[in-house]
Amino acid sequence: MKSARWAVALTAALVCSSAFAEGNAEAGKIKAYTCYGCHGILNYNNAYPTYHVPKLGGQHPEYIIAALQAYKKGERKHPTMTAQASSLSDQDIADIAAYISKAPELK
Amino acid sequence: MSTTILDKVLIAAAFAAVAGVAQATEQVEQPAAVAVCATCHGEKGVSAAPIFPNLAGQHRNYIEHALQAYKSGARKNPIMAAQVAGLSDADIKQLAAWFSQQPPALYTLDPEAKTLQKE
Repeated sequence: MKSARWAVALTAALVCSSAFAEGNAEAGKIKAYTCYGCHGILNYNNAYPTYHVPKLGGQHPEYIIAALQAYKKGERKHPTMTAQASSLSDQDIADIAAYISKAPELK
Repeated sequence: MSTTILDKVLIAAAFAAVAGVAQATEQVEQPAAVAVCATCHGEKGVSAAPIFPNLAGQHRNYIEHALQAYKSGARKNPIMAAQVAGLSDADIKQLAAWFSQQPPALYTLDPEAKTLQKE
């Protein structure tokens, strides 16, 4: 069972990595401006249902790319995030992910 | 100076507040269901590969929301759908508590900051 989980994990990792454009963190800093309206406020709440919007600092860029791509393609649904992601190019998404994953922490 | 009823009430309130804080920061015991998550997300929420999100220090109610969304099918991911299928609401609450309370890998972004944190 445990080895089966590893097989799933490794396959997913191999399939998903290296499929995206190289991100430029400096360019991403400017493009990520809008993200801060929700993700740059401590304990900011999603309106309904109510939960804190996820912390993104320290998250893997590969995962942020996967999330934004899923919103863009409509595979993952959230009104605000769909609207944000729909206007982003693949390069924009890679740049934003490169910046946000390493951006400074709000204390 | 005699102790009034008001004093007693205030003292009781102070103890209650201290107890509340202690409870809020108390570490939860590792739930058995962590075994389901650990292969990809790590036992303490630091993931095994970059395509799997870190969970350590993520907001508790966001993790709970995400797991419930996978369970209901509102959020679609073949791996996650299979993993959450066997989880009860109680399991989900325990997992969210566990991962949210691990030494944080995640943090909120600082809009005022000018430079990258680390290279």
